[in-house]
Amino acid sequence: MRKALSVIAFFAMALAALIGGCKDKGGDNNSAAEAGEIKIGVFLSLSGKNADFGKTTKNGIMLAVDEINAAGGIGGKKLVIVDKDTRSQPDQAQTVAKALATSDKVAVAIGSVESGQSIKAAPVFQEAGIPMVSPSSTNPDVTKQGDRIFRVCYLDDFQGQACATFAYKDLGLKKAAIIFAQDDDYSKGLADFFRASFKALGGTIVEDVAFQGEVSEFKDQVSKIAAANPEVIFAPVYYGSIGLIARDFRKQGVKAPLLGGDGWESPQLIQLAGETLEGCYFGYHYDPEDKDEKVQSYLKNYKAKFNTEPNSLSALGYDAVYTVKAAIELGGGASPDQITQGLRKVKDFHGVTGTYSIDENRNAKKPITMLKIGGTSLSKVKVIQPGDLK
Amino acid sequence: MAEVSLTTEVLQYVTNGVAKGSTYALMAVGYTLVYGVLQLINFAHAEVYMLGSYFAWYQAKWAGYLPDSKGARAETVPLYMVALFVAGAMAACALAGMLIERLAYRPLRNAGRLAPLITAIGVSLLLQYGGQVVFGTEPKLFPTFAETVVYDAGGVKIPNTNIYIVVTSLVLMLGLTFFVNKTRPGAAMRACSHDMRTARLMGVNVNATISLTFAIGSALAAVAGVLVAMDQPAITPLMGVRIGLKAFVAAVVGGIGSIPGAALGGLLLGVSESVVSGLWKPVYSEAVAFVFLIVVLLVKPSGILGKSVREKV
Repeated sequence: MRKALSVIAFFAMALAALIGGCKDKGGDNNSAAEAGEIKIGVFLSLSGKNADFGKTTKNGIMLAVDEINAAGGIGGKKLVIVDKDTRSQPDQAQTVAKALATSDKVAVAIGSVESGQSIKAAPVFQEAGIPMVSPSSTNPDVTKQGDRIFRVCYLDDFQGQACATFAYKDLGLKKAAIIFAQDDDYSKGLADFFRASFKALGGTIVEDVAFQGEVSEFKDQVSKIAAANPEVIFAPVYYGSIGLIARDFRKQGVKAPLLGGDGWESPQLIQLAGETLEGCYFGYHYDPEDKDEKVQSYLKNYKAKFNTEPNSLSALGYDAVYTVKAAIELGGGASPDQITQGLRKVKDFHGVTGTYSIDENRNAKKPITMLKIGGTSLSKVKVIQPGDLK
Repeated sequence: MAEVSLTTEVLQYVTNGVAKGSTYALMAVGYTLVYGVLQLINFAHAEVYMLGSYFAWYQAKWAGYLPDSKGARAETVPLYMVALFVAGAMAACALAGMLIERLAYRPLRNAGRLAPLITAIGVSLLLQYGGQVVFGTEPKLFPTFAETVVYDAGGVKIPNTNIYIVVTSLVLMLGLTFFVNKTRPGAAMRACSHDMRTARLMGVNVNATISLTFAIGSALAAVAGVLVAMDQPAITPLMGVRIGLKAFVAAVVGGIGSIPGAALGGLLLGVSESVVSGLWKPVYSEAVAFVFLIVVLLVKPSGILGKSVREKV
């Protein structure tokens, strides 16, 4: 009997998991912005293979929201977060975006980290007339989805160019190989920009390999790259994959350093990769050693609140909220239209991830910090400003 | 480092493919055994494989081999502990396999062929999504079970994990062949696969034999789960989907119902995937593998080593 019960319980749990997504769509109808509240919709990968992205970003968002609310809100209005889980899937991002736009009727949306998700969600918000601010989607196409779509991070064309320049000029490596996920907007975009920049600098791409789908095994791609004998391997993938890729490279005796973008960043990075990423490099959104008062107070408050080290994604989430606050003040109100107008006017905003303005293409121009991976820690190697590259 | 010659490169892909194919083969045997006896495609087999790596993961966790903090690395597990974890995972999966058969398939044994097939898909989805609830969706780091050593055979790089995979698979497959052909329970399995009703009349305990078939197939899936997790140490509740599909294809290509066929199908699929990846493009490897399946089935509908049996009326 108890066995039968536990089987039924298991069925019920599985059923709950299956219909969990549908539940979001129902939504509550008492959601029309109540007086004295500003609803901010948040859509992030809170579960799934990139769950760290969503969780760290959400921490940054919550820190900023709590600070603002503790100081009396914006013009007396408190910020309220409505968060949705995209389960690390672009299609799910679109589904939850619809829920945020139609049933939750948020004034502004913040999300997502992965460009693929942001690109899927952006048209939904654009159509609903709701501004969307991506904290850390770097693919250029994200903000091209409409004139209400903004971001507070650098772009992949800059990131790809910066990585190429760093490899070619700073590391002095002239033969590069690329491995990327063909069906991922972020990975493919970054690979394209790196390839073009590296060639323009005079380097050669000795091997260029793609993979597709939920792959966890990269033996053949690695053999192909190993045969071409590169000096550096550019791997613009997310942290869930890079550990496995690095392990496969070391298993075939490839010792060339791997180089990647901000997608590598995660508290889990070193654990997933073991020692295989030692001596490798990746680009990062801010410099945690910055003496700037804003950075230091952010670091201190974050550690006090969450008892873990913050990362750049949480910093970008934090900055996204304060950018929205600045926009509400500049736009003169908290309606979707006023926030959109305000976001277009954000200028010389001083945030944790640098001082930036929103340009006419609704993007932020910011520096990139290259980090080197050590045994159990990361160290800053170089900061590349947008002006440093032509 | 000298330029790598084409022969070396091809040999490299073939060795990669053999390692991959061995795991497909181990899994394919599970499909083939069950199909041989029940003419049922047990789609839940892929999820038993996933359970196998989770069972081993939990044992490693309880034994204290997993790091507490996110920054620390997993410790290396000594070989005798690995053997213990594999044995534990095999036992747990054997039980899970028998339970699935008892709860989901046995009540439908006389219900025609479509009902159990749909049920199999249902069980598979149940375990995939139930697994996401119970284990969580984040990839779990699997402890490294051995220091990685890379052997260099004339330019062909062979990591020790690949050797473990191939040798373990080979030994298990040979053992299984011996078991099926030379032992009494094996003879009972063969009898059931020939004609279940007559076997029962001859005094074979059919239910026990079917349970045994599920137990063996599931235990092999558990080994495959641990071997792959050692090689690619991030496990997720959906890890069975891809390999399950490929192993199923391998079983069909080799001739479903035939154990050597499953082994051959697995190896062929693995090697063809790797060679296509290496010499052409990795993203085409699966497309080519499935075109290969279609071609084999067009030429020989019963699979390479499959017997063409007349439909039982």
